Amino acid sequence: MTAPPALLGLRGIAVHVGDRAILELEHLTIEPGETLAILGANGAGKSTLLRVAGGLRRPTRGRLSLHGRAATPAQLREASAAVLQRPLLRRGSVRTNVETGLRFKRVPAPERRQRTAQWLQRLGLESLADQAAHSLSGGEAQRVSLARALALAPQLLLLDEPFGALDSPTRAELLADLRDILATSGTAALLVTHDRHEAAATADRTAILHSGTLRQIGPTPTVLDHPADADCARLLGFDNILSPHVASRLLGRETDHAVAVRATDCRLDSDGGGAGAVERILPFGAFTRAIVRIDDTRIFSDTPASSPEWLTAFEPGTRVDVHINLSAARTLP
Amino acid sequence: MDVLWDAVVEAFRLLLSGDGETWEIIGRSLRISLTATALALVLGLPISAALAFGRFPGRRFALALVNTGMGVPPVVAGLVIIVLLWRSGPLGALGLLYTQTAMVIAQTAIALPLVAGFSTAALQQVDPDFRLQMQALGAGRLRSLWTVAVEARLPLLAAGMAGFGAVISEVGAALMVGGNIAGQTRVLTTAAVLEASKGAFALALALGVILLVIAFAVNLVLTAVQQHGRA
Repeated sequence: MTAPPALLGLRGIAVHVGDRAILELEHLTIEPGETLAILGANGAGKSTLLRVAGGLRRPTRGRLSLHGRAATPAQLREASAAVLQRPLLRRGSVRTNVETGLRFKRVPAPERRQRTAQWLQRLGLESLADQAAHSLSGGEAQRVSLARALALAPQLLLLDEPFGALDSPTRAELLADLRDILATSGTAALLVTHDRHEAAATADRTAILHSGTLRQIGPTPTVLDHPADADCARLLGFDNILSPHVASRLLGRETDHAVAVRATDCRLDSDGGGAGAVERILPFGAFTRAIVRIDDTRIFSDTPASSPEWLTAFEPGTRVDVHINLSAARTLP
Repeated sequence: MDVLWDAVVEAFRLLLSGDGETWEIIGRSLRISLTATALALVLGLPISAALAFGRFPGRRFALALVNTGMGVPPVVAGLVIIVLLWRSGPLGALGLLYTQTAMVIAQTAIALPLVAGFSTAALQQVDPDFRLQMQALGAGRLRSLWTVAVEARLPLLAAGMAGFGAVISEVGAALMVGGNIAGQTRVLTTAAVLEASKGAFALALALGVILLVIAFAVNLVLTAVQQHGRA
């Protein structure tokens, strides 16, 4: 038995600006009902990928398909709906905005009203329905933007860093709502983000895009915890990329590979002779970051502790040892 | 000061007494200038959309040309149109010189760069991603342009007002291509020039006051449309 074709397929896609390739993808698919997160730093080509997938930008070359059949940009736009980073709302009420796409697609008025009411309720916007859209807070506006896209019942929801500008509690709440909606509606989603926590919260699979090329793709827990290379590791929050030489010293065993380790998995100890010296202490409120220099390598160590005693024990210049949580260290190929 | 006061009194006397010739000139002025403004909007909005969103070679050059056109004196525009419409000119066979049509053409040429220039700036004020967002919700090319225009309707109406203000008040082109023929091509500005040349300053000023009142009334209507729904 052959597997059903992917909802969206991208093959041999390239996008150029002048002579420079800003996106080069050999192969990428989005399966029906799945959420795929594209994780990448600024300028990695994430938004370009999303726009190509939604038929909003023509690639220089390559083939896009829907359910296994070659798709035109117009067919891609018909199958998808996008939520961009900034909630770009029209003048008028919240209700008018949620109706926007349904009007574009000439959905009959009774059905339009019913679907609008349904999504206003689903996203907790009923009380704001008649309010001017331009008077909303950032979180409320992004909810409207999400309701507007979901009201179209798209086969593929395109999300271009929609939570980037929101404060932490608002973002968490909206992420939770989005996760519930995607799980119950069966809508496939392509989420573009630079934040691994957003991928962890919503995505079945995660792909890492770096400088326009796909570096890693797989189930989200696997990708987030097993970076394929140093670039992926940095993006996934592995603050320390240790050279084989330094890694061998700190791990207490010989290795020919670089090792990635998060700052939270490096513990400092000032009892012994000290392999390195504290260079700087950076208080971040919820945690304190110590920067330790060992030879030419700077190692970051985060600790929730920031008591006066701790700060005295690890003041700059203090010789310290760095202990790495071995189970959390990842060997890079 | 007496002349000014007399002009104001004369202006309202002409308006309120229902003076046939005055009202005929007012009607003609409005008809010609509003037609020219409407034509400038019809032609200028697609041009401004192309300049605001298009990516074609020479776009910046075209934009600079439009911006320069915003400052062209009406008399120069009139000269160009008269050369085109002159009996031996390329469009002379149409026999349009000294007609209201010729005045509409000249005033359209004056208003067009203003409308196109201000409209381009108006459309470019809308977030560049707004149109993309509308397309991502199913709007076609034209529909998405329309939504941008609706977002920019306040400055777009201002562009229309600027165009109308320029043509209702210009005299050079109207005089050159219209000829100020009584009962045919005489408009408020050309009539005012004629009266001033005869030394009838109070009547000339009265026509000027009427011109201002008419321009104010039209702009009041446009402003009401523009500011609809705003406190």
